[in-house]
Amino acid sequence: MKPMDRRTFLRRTGIVVAGSAAVGLGAGAAIPNLLHRFHRPWDDDAFAPPGRPKVLVARVDSYDGDLETTVEDGLREVGASLAGRSVLLKPNLVEYDPGTVINTDPRLVAATVLAVRRLGASSVLVAEGPGHRRDTPFVVSASGLGERLGEVGARFVDLNLAPVTRVPLHSRFTDLGELWLPAPVVEADVVISMPKMKTHHWAGATLSMKNCFGCVPGRIYGWPKNVLHWAGLQEAIVDVASAVRPELQIVDGIVGMEGNGPIDGTPVHAGVLVFGTDPVATDSTAALVMGLDPAGIWHVSEAGRFLGQSDLEQIVQVGEDPERSMTSFDVLPVFQDLKTGSGDAHAGLGDANA
Amino acid sequence: MSTLFERSAETLDRARSGDAFGPTAGAEPEPEPTALAAIALDDDAARRWLAGAQRSDGSFGLTAGPVENDAATGLAALALPPGAERERALDHLVATPARTLPSDPVVPHDPNVPGWGWALGTAGWVEPTARALLAFRRLRPDATGQIDGAVGFLADRECVGGGWNFGSRSVYDVDLPPFGQTTAAGLIGLHAPASNDELVLRGIDALRRLWPLERGPLTLAMSLAAYRLLELPEADELVGALERTLDGPAPDVIALAWIALASGPGLSELAVTA
Repeated sequence: MKPMDRRTFLRRTGIVVAGSAAVGLGAGAAIPNLLHRFHRPWDDDAFAPPGRPKVLVARVDSYDGDLETTVEDGLREVGASLAGRSVLLKPNLVEYDPGTVINTDPRLVAATVLAVRRLGASSVLVAEGPGHRRDTPFVVSASGLGERLGEVGARFVDLNLAPVTRVPLHSRFTDLGELWLPAPVVEADVVISMPKMKTHHWAGATLSMKNCFGCVPGRIYGWPKNVLHWAGLQEAIVDVASAVRPELQIVDGIVGMEGNGPIDGTPVHAGVLVFGTDPVATDSTAALVMGLDPAGIWHVSEAGRFLGQSDLEQIVQVGEDPERSMTSFDVLPVFQDLKTGSGDAHAGLGDANA
Repeated sequence: MSTLFERSAETLDRARSGDAFGPTAGAEPEPEPTALAAIALDDDAARRWLAGAQRSDGSFGLTAGPVENDAATGLAALALPPGAERERALDHLVATPARTLPSDPVVPHDPNVPGWGWALGTAGWVEPTARALLAFRRLRPDATGQIDGAVGFLADRECVGGGWNFGSRSVYDVDLPPFGQTTAAGLIGLHAPASNDELVLRGIDALRRLWPLERGPLTLAMSLAAYRLLELPEADELVGALERTLDGPAPDVIALAWIALASGPGLSELAVTA
């Protein structure tokens, strides 16, 4: 597995510009690689060395079993410490389409509310700032999340409308310098990023780091959050994740999305939940489960330089072997070189919400 | 029994923060909810706050470090009384169309119609473009280049079959569906009574199909505004749906303001008659 070079990254993100042939004439790859090694756009003292984080891949075939216990056990296994702490769950609710599986399943979100309470959290709320639609109450209701949260007595906060707080960035992959993040995100003791396991047509995959985009308020950054795209999508993923710093991650891969994700892809049953305490390690592991090379996903690779652990040898797998749990997700042709192998054959799901 | 306007106006008034309005009840005031509420309630205090919130470049919006969101400028122009502040807001809109991107087979679009964006220096999207269009059509009808450009943008970004989502017609050869709220926003910008414009007629068909499936408060309220501006007969169904919405937890202030605006006399401040 080798890191994606800059040219491949630029080609995928569609920002190769005229004149690129003039770059690096006669210098080979050595100078760009050297420059890359010395280009460290983050404050070292703001990020602890990643160590050897635990990640758990759990086989979970459907949303109908005892998810509450599964989540509780998963969080315990990776060393989550929630007693007496306020918790914000951040599912993916970027938009709603009844024909596919864009969103983190509401049953998993509700089960996590209950599991987090069992683990002693002082409070738990569920929050999201949908990226495509302004009518958040519609998305919450239509997706079924509202009903599920009602059943477990959990509150939902629309992060597109919540009061905001200035957060200086300690990484500088974009020129943003600072983000204005919702107070509930900034004030929570623990943010749990709960992405849907999906391919992404600009970034390769969308997992716990990309899911942090939903913490960025639309009333400042727009619908879609186009400011972040102009700043450089993959760079913005790194900067936003480094600002939000989700302490825990639960990736919903029971049914994920392959192909033209994150909106128009095809449901795929991967039958896993991925738990972790380090978003880079969790996303690296989830990428392996999807049959993708994490080192080839630019934002995962770059975040692995400072935000978390991307060295697979240093990630302690306390559950299933991710590569043996692999379901090979189809990707768009532009991301074909991310594929690590054929993986298990799978059948697409006709009914996205089945 | 109180009317929808009376109920929503009363709830909206209770949600104010001093003279102005934040996005949620009691929150720090911001230009978008204040502009909408100023029109809906015919509220001079809110208008005064708004005038004081105008930035030196004539725009209205939120600043977050290097990000200058100016998407409330069109609404603020509509809320302000005639005068220098309103003209400066319109001048800002004239001067700041969105940035253009080259045409791209993955996300096909016409680079000659940039529209207006949520933030300065970014791409154009449906809702801010529709706001700018409405402001020009009502307050500066001689800005024909801007009006034609905004209409051209909405035509370019129309979803297959009519209506609009946030502003992408297709990505990777997949046609993206329209949404109710953004379709209503597009129609509010384009409305004209008894319009025979095919773009508008397709949008109306799309909205008729969408709002019964997307019964969020903002979607319903902006749909009612579009229906009333277009003088469509079925607006009563939307009034009923919104009354039921108000029976539940209070919507956010932006949705509330749109309900009061759509159901009350303030809507005439958005009407384009010519």
